[in-house]
Amino acid sequence: MPRDASDLLHGTLDVLILKTLSWDGMHGYAIAEWIEKRAGGELVIVDAALYKALHRLEDSGSIESEWGVSENNRRAKYYSLTAHGRAQLRAEAATWKRYAHAVHRILETA
Amino acid sequence: MRIPAGVRRVFRLPSSRERIVRDLDDEVRFHVEMRTRRLRGEGYSEAEASAEAQRRFGDVEDLRDYCVSMEVAHMHRTRARERLESVAQDLRFALRQFRKSPGFAFIATLTLALGVGATTAIFSVVNGVVLKPLPFARPQQLVQLWGLDAKGHHLSFADPTFDAVLHDTHSFAAVAEYAQNGMSLVEDGEVERVRATAVSSQFFRALEVAPLLGRLFVPEEQQLGAPMAAVISHALWVRRFGASPSAIGKSLLSDGKPLTVVGVLREGQEFPAGTDVWYPREIFEKNTSYTAHNWRVIGRVKEGIPLEQAARDLSMTLQRLHATLGDATWTFDGTIVGLRDQIVGSIKPLLYLLLSASAVLLVIACANVANLLIARMAVRENEIAVRLAIGAGRARLAQQLLIEASLLSAAGCLGGLLLALAGMRVLLALRPESIPRVGELRVDWMVLAFAIVISAGTAIVLGLVASWRGARGDLRAALAQSQRTQGGGGASYRIRGSLVVVQLAMTVVLLIGAGLLARSFVRLMRIDTGLRTQGVVVANLSFDAGDGSNAERVARRTQYADEIVARARALPGVTSVGVSDAEPFSNGSSNGQFIELSSADVNRAPADLMKDLQLMMQDKAHTGYATYRLASGDYFRALQIPLLSGRLFDETDRAGAPEVALVNAALAKKQWPGESPLGKVIEFGNIDGDLTPMTVIGVVGDTREEELAADPQPAIYVCDRQRPGNSSDLNVIMATSGSAPVTAAARRAFRQVRTDVPMRFSTVEDIIARSVASRRFMLLLVGVFGGVALLLATLGVYSVISYLVAQRGREISIRVALGAHGSDIIGLVVRQGVVLAVFGAAVGALAAFASTRVLKSLLYSVSTTDPLAFAGVLVMLCVIALVASYVPARRAARLEPMDVLRGG
Repeated sequence: MPRDASDLLHGTLDVLILKTLSWDGMHGYAIAEWIEKRAGGELVIVDAALYKALHRLEDSGSIESEWGVSENNRRAKYYSLTAHGRAQLRAEAATWKRYAHAVHRILETA
Repeated sequence: MRIPAGVRRVFRLPSSRERIVRDLDDEVRFHVEMRTRRLRGEGYSEAEASAEAQRRFGDVEDLRDYCVSMEVAHMHRTRARERLESVAQDLRFALRQFRKSPGFAFIATLTLALGVGATTAIFSVVNGVVLKPLPFARPQQLVQLWGLDAKGHHLSFADPTFDAVLHDTHSFAAVAEYAQNGMSLVEDGEVERVRATAVSSQFFRALEVAPLLGRLFVPEEQQLGAPMAAVISHALWVRRFGASPSAIGKSLLSDGKPLTVVGVLREGQEFPAGTDVWYPREIFEKNTSYTAHNWRVIGRVKEGIPLEQAARDLSMTLQRLHATLGDATWTFDGTIVGLRDQIVGSIKPLLYLLLSASAVLLVIACANVANLLIARMAVRENEIAVRLAIGAGRARLAQQLLIEASLLSAAGCLGGLLLALAGMRVLLALRPESIPRVGELRVDWMVLAFAIVISAGTAIVLGLVASWRGARGDLRAALAQSQRTQGGGGASYRIRGSLVVVQLAMTVVLLIGAGLLARSFVRLMRIDTGLRTQGVVVANLSFDAGDGSNAERVARRTQYADEIVARARALPGVTSVGVSDAEPFSNGSSNGQFIELSSADVNRAPADLMKDLQLMMQDKAHTGYATYRLASGDYFRALQIPLLSGRLFDETDRAGAPEVALVNAALAKKQWPGESPLGKVIEFGNIDGDLTPMTVIGVVGDTREEELAADPQPAIYVCDRQRPGNSSDLNVIMATSGSAPVTAAARRAFRQVRTDVPMRFSTVEDIIARSVASRRFMLLLVGVFGGVALLLATLGVYSVISYLVAQRGREISIRVALGAHGSDIIGLVVRQGVVLAVFGAAVGALAAFASTRVLKSLLYSVSTTDPLAFAGVLVMLCVIALVASYVPARRAARLEPMDVLRGG
């Protein structure tokens, strides 16, 4: 585990967000919770970085957002994957797996 | 609950910077609150939970900066793209519209092209001649220096006066005197007459020119008696040496003496204009007289010294000189004029006048196209109403109309540029010599920018007119009305009517201007010049008398002249042959002050007389101003200038016999009112240095020369035998019986005498035509502009009346059905045209009344409010309007009422 979560976030947060949103559209807080739960507490995400990534992905057209109403009746911004985002997720997930696999192999054999 | 993806974009919900910040803050607050709630659930206290949530969120400020800048950029990009898309869409739509009605597109484009083309062509001349800096380094520091006489008139410089300026002023980096004259160049037996300029040593330094080839003068060449070195023009280099570098060092014969080419100047840097050969002034002796005003002077003001200071410097220097010399100099003071103003000053008002005339034409063209556009808007009212109904914004609609107008203007601009190029060629062909700097004319970026700017202006005006008409429409009214009529309501007719009135008024202004110029021109051409203008051939010969004493030179020249006159007399068809040193219809060979001598003075020796000459010149009662011309007795017979009293020159007036002179009636009347001038003795020696007094032996009729519009000038004719002078110009005036062409025979005959004398033949009619060339040029252009304007205005009247007929088709049909005659209908329609014409004529007449005074300096014996020109144009306009509205009127009268009523 990297010493600083932001190091990890920089490279992988985008693909984690895309993966999260591939299940369903959700608001920023739900995305953060979802990632943290899946990571079993191993990943701590700085929220500001998450929102930067969300807005960046929206700007590049990978995700889009709509204002909606949350489960507790609050106004919340919902993000969802676009077709472009879905393609990006497929490509990046594959790349990431190959990379992780390679790193893993090196660490095991050395 | 969520708005489906893309809906926001479809509805284009507004977004803004404030909105982006607010949304982000909402999003962050929601997140922090959710986190706080969760932490509370894990057992944190309210305060702890909130603090922990804040901490885990991180730097909100940084996030806000990051997101806002990104989204604002995104927002701008999106907007720009949408705008671009809508423009592209409108462009496609406009092109489709024009393809559907190519006639409209063609007429509108052509009309605009005419307006833009005329304005651009004239502007290119204004730009090249007036606006563009001279083709020399730092041209604003180049000035023409002038002496001023006692009355403040400009004076050229005498050699010693120039020397004083050269040595005693401190504001000039360089000053130089120069004088342009004719030179015969001989090479391989081919003679060519060129313009040559003698220049003093600092001349090229003042202009700051570098040669294209070779070098400029070196000090050894600028010495008294040095062999003549020459710098030649680019044109001469191309003409005589085929642009070969081997021209440097070549020797030519100039007036019998060798001349060596040392350098070639760049194209466009010929100063003074027309010069082909420059040679050092210093190789000839200087004249010590302070009153031999033979030299023009240019100077370059030193860097950093304002022109006013240089002018003061010159003025002080010349005033000091006058204080020292007193009456020995006539130069009292001095002044400077920017060189560009000096060169183009006289043509500037004419060009600006033409530019305004072309601008008026552009306005008329615009009005015409606006009219056409509005007519189309009326037809398209249905389409526009539908577009408004399904939610097109008025701004968007205006954009589309603006784009249509821009497209038309762009096409018009392109066509206009092509027309301007062609028009410029015609302009230059019409009048190349009388416009200074004409060789520098180019279509450069200034001209392009001008054409584009006026076209853009046109597009905006047209677009605004169209969208004001189009986007303003009342939906229901338009939809309802379009069922019944093809076209808009009464308001549209009023606008179109006003545009036609503007057009007619502008046309009236142009036509009245043209009319005034034409009347003036006709009057001018009918003026009695006082000399025979038809069937007179003038041969201008430049005879070089060669070396030797003055007497030898005179003898040679006289012998040559005698032989030429004898040959000319022998030509078939030639009835009489006169000679003079100046062309007919020019202002003599020079002009100046003469002195009337008293009977006591007549008997004094010339040397004695010389002492008192300056004093006598101050005596206003016994001095006068006249043109000076050498003439033979037959000069007057050939040109049919009548002898009013006394006698003409005859065989008894030989060299050595008492010297005689003829005066014209204007001089006799001015100098000796009520007295006979015969027997008066005058001294007119300042012109040629011959101080022998002359006795007046006759009075001849007045002639108007040089400038037709001016009153006859006092003139003195001296006998060619007695004062042969030293001019190389010999003008042989041959009166012909008319039928036989004399020129070719004369050229052959004269060449038998000498082959190396350059000859130029013209007729007096040619010479007069040259003198009125600038008036004819102006008349022609304003006339063409007026004609085009009239054509456009006629189209305007026709189209607006046709439109009226179409619009009122139902009403007219009802009238016919109720028994109105065809003539009633015609009267009804034509009356509308007449109303327009009367309005246009009235407004135009008022405008012309207020503006024709700008023509004053160009008019001769015609008032700027000449009733005939005004009345003629107004009547013509009304007649044309009548015809233009009669055509649609007749069509209206032939309408089949039932067709119209049934067809809707």
